[in-house]
Amino acid sequence: MIFTRFFSRRFRLLFLAPILSLTAIGAHAEEIKLEAKLIWASNEKNSPKKEHKPVDEATAAKLSKPFPQWKYFFAETNVVKTVPSRGSNRFVLSKECTLEIAELEGPRVEVKLIGNGKPVHKTIKEIKKGGWFVYTGDDKHESAWIVIVTQLEK
Amino acid sequence: MDTELMLKLQSWVDGELPASEAARIAELVRTDTAAAALAAELRMTRGFLAGNEPEVKLPESREFHWSKIQRAIERAEAEPRESLPWVAALRRFLVPVSGLALVAFLTVLSIGIFNRNPSGTGDELLVEEETLSRHVDTTTYNSQANNMYVVYIINKDVVDDDPMDLDSDLDEDMDDSVIQ
Repeated sequence: MIFTRFFSRRFRLLFLAPILSLTAIGAHAEEIKLEAKLIWASNEKNSPKKEHKPVDEATAAKLSKPFPQWKYFFAETNVVKTVPSRGSNRFVLSKECTLEIAELEGPRVEVKLIGNGKPVHKTIKEIKKGGWFVYTGDDKHESAWIVIVTQLEK
Repeated sequence: MDTELMLKLQSWVDGELPASEAARIAELVRTDTAAAALAAELRMTRGFLAGNEPEVKLPESREFHWSKIQRAIERAEAEPRESLPWVAALRRFLVPVSGLALVAFLTVLSIGIFNRNPSGTGDELLVEEETLSRHVDTTTYNSQANNMYVVYIINKDVVDDDPMDLDSDLDEDMDDSVIQ
């Protein structure tokens, strides 16, 4: 009798532990807070757009390493949004440029670049705090556009 | 007088010696003063013991007394052994604690799987890319030193300004710049 009671307790625990563990693993999937910036790069000291403001020194210094051809970087748009777990969100950076970012298992993100309403490129990769994911391309009049995606603390 | 002789003397006093041996010891006691003194002392001691030895009597018969002991032993053997109270309390405490420890271990393990060491596994280098527009080409650049992954979008319509391009009529919907 005592023996049966002892083993029934153990079996209950054996069934319960995996269920609770899977719940804990599932609960780990969480939303992420992301920041998307649209930056305009040029060799002209002043931007033709009045709303452009020079980026901070740290950002300029970091950008100058992969983009040594540009001297000046101007911030155009800065969007901070939360992407729900296993969901997606749109980051509208300008009339022409939108990012659609989805949180995937891993944790990885799918970043879709949409230009003028049409999908241009899609990247799936791991994202980490402190890391930069960058889309860039040449623009008119010897300039370039740069889109930076970073993960923020919640 | 040696010990052997003293023991024989005691046996003679108690009347336990055979007749021939008893006659020899009796002769010794009559002729030897030390043997006579010891024999007298042994007789006196025997007299004291015989008069004052406590007599314990069982209140019940011998058979009944031993059968009671036997029944008690059989009853004790037949009863199930109950575990000590502190062992039972410890077990009641340890069963849920061990379950929680297992859950905590698996949770920590799962967090370790999901939050991998940035310097270690190489999973951060696994990237899937897909160009969704035929008007662009891409070049990627991964700088681990700067912790930066760059995708460079090249507008083919601007680079390949080829008047012989047979698909040029299909590209009418594409702006000069892909983004701006």
